[in-house]
Amino acid sequence: MSTVEARPPQGHVEVRNFALSYETIDGAVSAVTETDIHVKPGEFVSIVGPSGCGKSTLLNAVAGFLKPTAGVVTVDGEKVNGPSAERGMVFQQYSLFPWKTVRENVEFGLKMRGMDRSQRERAARTLLGLAGLEAFEKHYPDRLSGGMKQRVGIVRALATGPKVLLLDEPFGALDAQTRVIMQQILTNMWQRLRISVLFVTHDIDEAIFLSDRVYCMTARPGSIKAEIPIPLERPRQQSMMMSSEFLALRRGLMSLIREESLKAMGGEINDSAMQGLNIELHGHSLAEVL
Amino acid sequence: MLSRWIRLNSERIRAVLLGAISLVLFLAAWHLLTRYRVVFFVRFTNVPSPIAVYASFVKAIHDPHFLMHIALSCRRIFLGFSLAALVGVPLGLVMGRFRLVHEAIFPVAEVLRPIPAIAWVPMAIMLWPSNEQSIVFITFLGSFFPILVNTLHGMSLVDPVLVRAAQCLGARERAIFREVYFPSSLPHIFTGLTVGMGVAWVSLIAAEMISGQYGIGYFTWEAYSLVQYADIALGMITIGVLGLLSSLLVRGIGTLVMPWGRA
Repeated sequence: MSTVEARPPQGHVEVRNFALSYETIDGAVSAVTETDIHVKPGEFVSIVGPSGCGKSTLLNAVAGFLKPTAGVVTVDGEKVNGPSAERGMVFQQYSLFPWKTVRENVEFGLKMRGMDRSQRERAARTLLGLAGLEAFEKHYPDRLSGGMKQRVGIVRALATGPKVLLLDEPFGALDAQTRVIMQQILTNMWQRLRISVLFVTHDIDEAIFLSDRVYCMTARPGSIKAEIPIPLERPRQQSMMMSSEFLALRRGLMSLIREESLKAMGGEINDSAMQGLNIELHGHSLAEVL
Repeated sequence: MLSRWIRLNSERIRAVLLGAISLVLFLAAWHLLTRYRVVFFVRFTNVPSPIAVYASFVKAIHDPHFLMHIALSCRRIFLGFSLAALVGVPLGLVMGRFRLVHEAIFPVAEVLRPIPAIAWVPMAIMLWPSNEQSIVFITFLGSFFPILVNTLHGMSLVDPVLVRAAQCLGARERAIFREVYFPSSLPHIFTGLTVGMGVAWVSLIAAEMISGQYGIGYFTWEAYSLVQYADIALGMITIGVLGLLSSLLVRGIGTLVMPWGRA
């Protein structure tokens, strides 16, 4: 049980002068440039931004799957040099091992660490109990609903006691009601474990509701456009989403993202040009008329 | 109780009934065609009737020679197929994981693959000192390529996100291979094994007919040479049944090994 008990805060993530570009035939394409972010121990930080802005790229670099072209990623002062169990990851596609039962999935990280069978079984059962999944320990993942799968995904990532939990749009594939429940579960677990969280989402409400701080990224090539502290008190309730404080934060973030989304789409929609464009087809194809 | 059981299993019952009816009709047609020695493009003049085949079956199961033919064929299948699986699966896994191995071996495999196992018969006789070994070799060749190709295919379909998931749970190369690549490829490996088992029988029977002594393929060919027409059909049916049973065996092992797949 040592894996889930509270411990002195750890998991200070720092990303400095970060840039990442891909090599293509036409030269390097920049995905993320000049980015500095950090997550303090025990802090819940979200990254939001228009689609394709490189927020997942940034997260994958923190996980160690991608190497930065410039800059450095460190956790507690140690340079990230590839994936490791100290940075747990939760994926949008759940990515549970279909050939393992729910419990075996949760045990996986402990098994990799060399923990013996009975010990890791006990640890997995306890963790599944916290997530309300003990009845499903023997099920294979394809029998579970999306929300249950992602609960297993979170529990699996937490089982090894990582310093940091990285989540890449984890609730993006879930329906609205399930998503709210999952946010509550994640918050509960985070508060119990006092673990650092870096959370990527395109859902502004979700980012505000969950986070201590939100980074907003620019359109591609992504960099940090703004850093917004979320001073809402904890524990947070669903009802807070109607508060004027929440709505003000939401409006601010919305306009930031709208600006960037428009940039990403190639500028404002040209209304006057649209009005001038009055095509009548009269049974002709568009190509013929133009 | 009973009516409820019938209602719940109605589709299954229908399938069994239909299957039984169609088998009976097949036997009846066979019987009538041979009973009246029908000649209509194909000639049923010398084709044995089902009753004659049954009679020779009853005689054969008391004949140690017949059982020995079966036992020898099964032994050859077991040896050839097991060798193919023992070489094909690991080779496919390694080729699928390491590009360099793939690039080095794949062209050779692609050149050899289209050669039917039967075409190897003369070469096999030259290569191997004994008849027995060359027949096992041909059986091996027949099942080897389907197994290799399907294993490779399975490896190419491994979800990279699952590999990443394993990596950030602390898995290293060996563990990723054992815990992700291998189980993820298993359904395709078993497809390869099932196909490979079928081709193994095809190759074995051809080899036995051409170069064999003993074996159920030899038995069938010999029956033709000795003008024992009922035994030809008996040999054919025996081959069919053995092929079916061995495929079922492979599939059964597959469902045992992969409890996560839907039955």
